[in-house]
Amino acid sequence: MAADLPPVPIGSMIPLTGPSAADGAEFRKGMILAVEELNARGGLLGRRFEPIFADTCRQTAEEVVAAARWLIEKHQVHAIVNGYNIGPQNSEYEPIADAGIIYVHANTLLQHHDTVMSDPERYFGCFMADPADYWYGPGFIKFISWLRDTGQWTPSSDRLAIVSGSKPYSIVIANAMAASAAEYGWRVCFGPKIVQTPTTRWREVLEEVRAANPAVLANTHFYAGDLAHFQRQFVEKPLDCIVYLQYGATHRSFSDIAQEAAVGVIVSSVVGLLRDDLGKRFEARYNARFGEGSTATIGCQSYSNMHHYAVAAAMAGGSGAPGDFEQNRKVAYALKGMIYRSVQGTIRYHPDWQAVAPYPVVTHDPSLGMPHIFYQIHDHRQPLAMIAPEPYNTERFILPPWMSGRTVARPAANPRGLTNL
Amino acid sequence: MADDPQARALTLDATVLAGLDMLPDGVAIWGPDRRLAYGNGALRRSLDAPPAVGEAFDDFARRVAQSHELALMEPDDWVATEIADFGKEKSVDYVLAHGAVMQVTQRPTRDGGMTVAYSDVTAIKRNEQALRAAKEAAEATDEAKSRFLRAANHDLRQPLASLKILIYSCMREEDERVRAEMLHAMSVSALIMEDLLGALLQIGQLDAGRIQPRVTSFQLSQLFERLAIQFRHQAEEKGLKLRFVTPRGTVATDRALLERILSNFVANAIRFTEVGTVLVGCRKEGRMLRIEVVDTGRGVKDEDRERVFDEFYRATEERRVQKSGLGLGLNIVRRLAELLEHPVRLRSRVGRGSIFSVSVPLGNVWHSEGGEIEISETVAGEFAGVPVLLVEDDDILRRSMTQLLQRWGIEVHAAADEAEAVRLAAEGVSVRMIVADFNLKSRTGVEVVRALRAVFGAETPAMIVTADAEPRVLASIREAGLPVLIKPVSPPRLRVLMHNLLFEPGHAAGPN
Repeated sequence: MAADLPPVPIGSMIPLTGPSAADGAEFRKGMILAVEELNARGGLLGRRFEPIFADTCRQTAEEVVAAARWLIEKHQVHAIVNGYNIGPQNSEYEPIADAGIIYVHANTLLQHHDTVMSDPERYFGCFMADPADYWYGPGFIKFISWLRDTGQWTPSSDRLAIVSGSKPYSIVIANAMAASAAEYGWRVCFGPKIVQTPTTRWREVLEEVRAANPAVLANTHFYAGDLAHFQRQFVEKPLDCIVYLQYGATHRSFSDIAQEAAVGVIVSSVVGLLRDDLGKRFEARYNARFGEGSTATIGCQSYSNMHHYAVAAAMAGGSGAPGDFEQNRKVAYALKGMIYRSVQGTIRYHPDWQAVAPYPVVTHDPSLGMPHIFYQIHDHRQPLAMIAPEPYNTERFILPPWMSGRTVARPAANPRGLTNL
Repeated sequence: MADDPQARALTLDATVLAGLDMLPDGVAIWGPDRRLAYGNGALRRSLDAPPAVGEAFDDFARRVAQSHELALMEPDDWVATEIADFGKEKSVDYVLAHGAVMQVTQRPTRDGGMTVAYSDVTAIKRNEQALRAAKEAAEATDEAKSRFLRAANHDLRQPLASLKILIYSCMREEDERVRAEMLHAMSVSALIMEDLLGALLQIGQLDAGRIQPRVTSFQLSQLFERLAIQFRHQAEEKGLKLRFVTPRGTVATDRALLERILSNFVANAIRFTEVGTVLVGCRKEGRMLRIEVVDTGRGVKDEDRERVFDEFYRATEERRVQKSGLGLGLNIVRRLAELLEHPVRLRSRVGRGSIFSVSVPLGNVWHSEGGEIEISETVAGEFAGVPVLLVEDDDILRRSMTQLLQRWGIEVHAAADEAEAVRLAAEGVSVRMIVADFNLKSRTGVEVVRALRAVFGAETPAMIVTADAEPRVLASIREAGLPVLIKPVSPPRLRVLMHNLLFEPGHAAGPN
């Protein structure tokens, strides 16, 4: 690497403090590992990458916009590469679009589509490297239909109860679930009921759910601690139903609080580390670099986004500083045109959305979409069991303990051959 | 040397032989002693086991039969015939084991032997075959078309004749009511012709092989919903109950073609049922799903069961009483089902009703194509279906703001001033939020919000937007307890404020 060439400054807006600081720490590690690996191989056409981190604290619009401005104005970053920030509602797109730099994030937001498609010229550099929250809805409905149609579980009825947190993410997922339910033979018997979150008090809404007697209960709030309390309060008087809890239940802290009550819970993520050779090797490198207590499945997001950006910038012949629209348009073009297999599945930007499409809900080809992974907690002290979709699943669905009294889980002749795919 | 006759003969002989060797066809010259006198290069190349010079013809024939190089039905008979036919004039085509076609032509020579030519005619035969198939297909299509046009002609003439009479009468008719009736009858005739032409076009496309099925996995419920919308009124008009038992599960077939099959079944069921119910439901049969259309109509006689699927077929009694049926629907069903390879069945009892069914393969739910591919905030955005009252006196701003909010799925009730807003509220428009401009013509937005809340009788969440960034103005709005955004309104900021007001009131302080 030529020592005399100036480094390429890359910004990263990360919640290093505040309620999402645990995830923020992993996003930071992911960026560091990616940059170290890239620099070891010669950086960007001989120029070293230099990451600059901006704390987005509680991830409000003001904090995230301020972080973007600081990175652009003070550090002249060529790109901003993140994990996710909840809360800015795309307000950070404005300073980024004004500067004409590249922005890659995993905000998992439906409104990314609306913003980008409202003015593709202006937002040419804004990319969402994971599928929108919206896709959790139809993905989940297909998942429960798959359990039903393949006889892995016989629902007591077609009734579906949906509880939502009060963040846009939760409301969108809850609405999307409700919108797709009928098409697949499900009837929304309760909700979507929006509960003010954060909260640990769920007994009141759970009583209402019990009165509705659903076969499926979904809670789209996503804070690990809140969800753990929800689950503990559910098993106080369980129903004969599947329980699905949004993303937060993938966190270690969920099982730590919920303990035995966690067993049987279904949870999913549209962006998670795969357990194939690529994923395992990444996890080993990640843990070797940052210690065994690190969570590679979260750090993989910023890691892959940074790698993908670096490849695209190299293809484009280099990166562009703020104001260099022409060069950054070339980078954006390369990002859009490249099918990139990351450690969490394929990043392939939809030409209009500039967001990733999920597999199998949108694309039926696993090489063209990021898998919407369904997990089940089989043992609260162990990592989650990955039960769908093929070809990424490693375990199979079991009836949750609060339901197993009524029927016996059917042993699968072939533990991976569950989907008829 | 050229003058030496013997030498000349030898030279000539060598030249002739070299020339014969270059012929594309195999040539064998058998002597009067039935032994091979000469075989050229092409002969050696065209047969796996060519005859050697001096070999007896009879031995060669036996050897060929045993080698199975030629596809022969009765090898022993063939050998006997070949031996008997030595020296006779004949020409036979043989199919070789590897599929090529060889024409073997033999002619007697003057000295009692014979010359045999072996020609590869594979390409010629294939062309001939293709031409013959094309000719047969053309003749069959022509015949079908003629039969079809004769029948279509008859069915098309009837509504056309009525139409002509109706137009003529209508031109003279003075009475408005009678004219309206005639116009209605004309539109019915035109519809019948349209249906007929549509059906003819479909059949024409099917015959021409232009319809290529596109098999996908999807939920039948979507299709049932469309059929319910399509046929609800027809059934109601006849006083029939039309019920769809929505199935669970995924099917794998061509969605549009299956819809055509089912819509023909349902149309028929409604047409031939006078009282009772038409029920559409499903049964699982192994890896297939049988979709049944059950009616309580007049039923189909045993002898008609096959013929109902023919073109322009109509039962005799129907010809007398019904004029609307074209007799093409079930024929289209049969053609489409054949194309899709879906079994079609009919069970029926005269006077009790019929069950028409089509069986389709079950699909994989993960591959199911739903309506979700068109991602949009109007479907599942956080504000989808939320009613909002917008008060803005600037026409352009009101229009652009309405468009923005509608894109987010909001149900917008827009008013230009207080009077219009209050009228909307008084008329019963119920909203979950008010967005008001501050500088309205004679009033401030704060006053309008107050007036609207009085009409609603509730503290409806509200916000003010203003182009006036004067600190005194902003302070007065905040004093009234209302959050404020300064124009031009940034969509993300508007979104955040709306979210907070609607879903997280604790966070709803004005960001400005």
